[in-house]
Amino acid sequence: MLKDFSLSINDGEMVTLLGPSGSGKSTVLKLIAGIEQLDNGDIRFDGESILQTEPNKRGAVLMFQKSYLFPFLNVEENIGFGLKMQGVAPSVIQGEVKRMLSLIGLPGIEKRKVGQLSGGEGQRVALARALVTQPKLLMLDEPLSSLDTSVRMNLQAAIRDIQRELGITTIFVTHDLSEAMAMSDRMAILLDGEVTAYDKPETLFHRPPCVRSAKFVGVDLFLEGEASGGWLDAADVGRVRLNDESKVGRSVFAIRPEHIRIQKEETENSLAGVVQSCLFRGEALEVQVRLGELTTRVRLPMPAPMFAHGENVFVQLPAEYLFEVAA
Amino acid sequence: MKYVIRALLYLVLVAPLALFIVYSFTEGWFFPAPFPSEWTTTTFQRAMDDPRTLGGMWQGFVIAVIVSLLSLILAFPAARALGLRQFRGRQIAWLVLFLPTVVPPLAIGMGLNILFLRVGLAGTIMGVSLAHLISTLPYTVFTLSSAFARYDENYEHQALALGASPAQIFFNITLRMMTPSLVVATLFAFLVSWSQYLLTLLIGGGKIITLPVLLFTAASGGNPSTIAIKSLLFILPPALVIAFTARELNRHGNDIREQY
Repeated sequence: MLKDFSLSINDGEMVTLLGPSGSGKSTVLKLIAGIEQLDNGDIRFDGESILQTEPNKRGAVLMFQKSYLFPFLNVEENIGFGLKMQGVAPSVIQGEVKRMLSLIGLPGIEKRKVGQLSGGEGQRVALARALVTQPKLLMLDEPLSSLDTSVRMNLQAAIRDIQRELGITTIFVTHDLSEAMAMSDRMAILLDGEVTAYDKPETLFHRPPCVRSAKFVGVDLFLEGEASGGWLDAADVGRVRLNDESKVGRSVFAIRPEHIRIQKEETENSLAGVVQSCLFRGEALEVQVRLGELTTRVRLPMPAPMFAHGENVFVQLPAEYLFEVAA
Repeated sequence: MKYVIRALLYLVLVAPLALFIVYSFTEGWFFPAPFPSEWTTTTFQRAMDDPRTLGGMWQGFVIAVIVSLLSLILAFPAARALGLRQFRGRQIAWLVLFLPTVVPPLAIGMGLNILFLRVGLAGTIMGVSLAHLISTLPYTVFTLSSAFARYDENYEHQALALGASPAQIFFNITLRMMTPSLVVATLFAFLVSWSQYLLTLLIGGGKIITLPVLLFTAASGGNPSTIAIKSLLFILPPALVIAFTARELNRHGNDIREQY
C-alpha cells in the first residue's frame, strides 16, 4: 500500500527504492509495468500520463528477483522474446541477441537451455532479455537478492556499467543498504508506503533528514532536548555541545555509529556508559554501550582493543559529527 | 521374490486381454475343452462387416473429440479461477463442479432426457456430447486446477513487462506452461466420454449408437467371441492415445524437472 508517494526521476538516471519488505517498493514497479492498477494518482513519462496506455506499449520493462526465463525456450529465444512479440524479423532478432549476449559478457550461449544456466548467468540473460527492446525505463525488482555474495558483487558492477553505457533510466529496488548506495545516482527510502528521504546516497548516509530514515541507514543514537547557544540539553544523557550555535528550541540530534569514539577518561561531550557486548566484525569492532536509559551501537575501525562485558567507559560524541534530524 | 510379484501383477493385468484375443479368433470354445478346437477369422470378419461396429466406433470417436474440446474450453477458465484465486463461494463452486461424480448418472440422464427432448437435442450427437460433459468436467477441472495451484503467474507478468499483449501471453506463455496438464485433461475427457454407456443410451435414444452401447448389447447376447472382439475394439483407441501421450508427457516432465 502506498500513501503520499511521489518521485520524479531524470532521464538516464539510476534511482534506487530502498525499504524493508512490505514497504511497497515492488508495488511501485508493478504499477508502472501495469501488472497492478492504480487506485488514484498518476504515472507520467516525459510529462505524459501512461495510465491509458496498454501495459505492453508503455516501454517499461521489469526484471524480478527470480529470472523467470521461460523454461520451454532456449537462451536465444528467451532474449528475443520481446522483439518477436513486436513482430521483428528473425534475422534482426538474431543480431540483437548476439549483441546483447556480448554486452552481458556471455557470448556464444545462444543455444543453451535455460536449465543449464547458473543463478548469476540466469540473471544476466534476464537482463539482456529486458534490455533488448530498448525500453524507456528499466525496472529491477531485487534482481540480485537470491545470489551468492561474490556473484552478487560482480553483477552489481556489471549492471551499473551497462546502465551507464546505455544511458537507460533505471529504477532499482532493494532492501540492502550497501547495494542501494553502490548502485544509485539517487536513492529513495520507502517506509510504510511513504518516501521519507530522496537524495544522493552519500548525503542520505551521512545526513539522513528524519529519525525514521536515519534508523534505516544505520543510525541508532538520537538525542532529544532543548537547544540553545550551541548546547543541547538532552533529557536522557545531559548537556552536549553542538557545532551549530544558532540552533534554538526543541530538537533531535543524531550521530552515526562510525563517528562515536570510546575512551577511558572523561572529556568534552563524553557520556559515561557500560559495555553490553563487543563483537568482532572483521572490518570493524561493534560495541553496544548502555548510556543510562539509552543503548547505542558504536563501530570502531580496526585495529581496536576489545572491551569486556560490564566495563565502564566514556562514549565521546564529536560535535562536528552531530547532525539535526526531523523527529 | 520382487520379480515373481511383478510377473504375477502383469499376468493379472494381461490375462483377460490375452483371453479376449484368443476368443476373438475361435468359435465354439466351451468347457471342459482345454484349448480351442478351431481357429477362425469368421467371427472377426462378421463383426467388422457389420456397419454398426465401425459406425459406432466413428460416432463414439467424434463425440469423444467434441467432448474433449468443450471440456477444455469450459474447464480452463474455471480451473484457473479455482486454482489461482481466493474468492467468496469458492467451496460451493468446487462442490457444484464435483457433484456429477457422486450423483448417479441415471438420475442426471433421466432429467436431461426430458429437457433435451423438449429442446430437440435428444438423439443428436450434440445432445449426447453435452450430456457427456457432465461426467468429464469434474476430471478436467480437477486436473487443470491442481496444475494452476502450482502455476506461477509471474511468468505471465514477466511476459507482460517485456511487451507481450494479453493474447500473445495466452498463446505463448500460458498454453505452453500448461501443455502437460492440458494433455492429461484431454486424455481424461476423451476416455470418460469414449467409455460412457448410460448417458449415451438415455440421450441417444437408440439413434446414437457408440461402441459401449454395442458392447452391452453383445454382453447380454452371450456370445463370448463377439464380446471379445468388441472389447478389443473398445480398448484399442484409448490404448493408442495413452501410448502416444505417455511419450509426450515424459518429455514435458523432463523439461520441467530441469528447471528445479
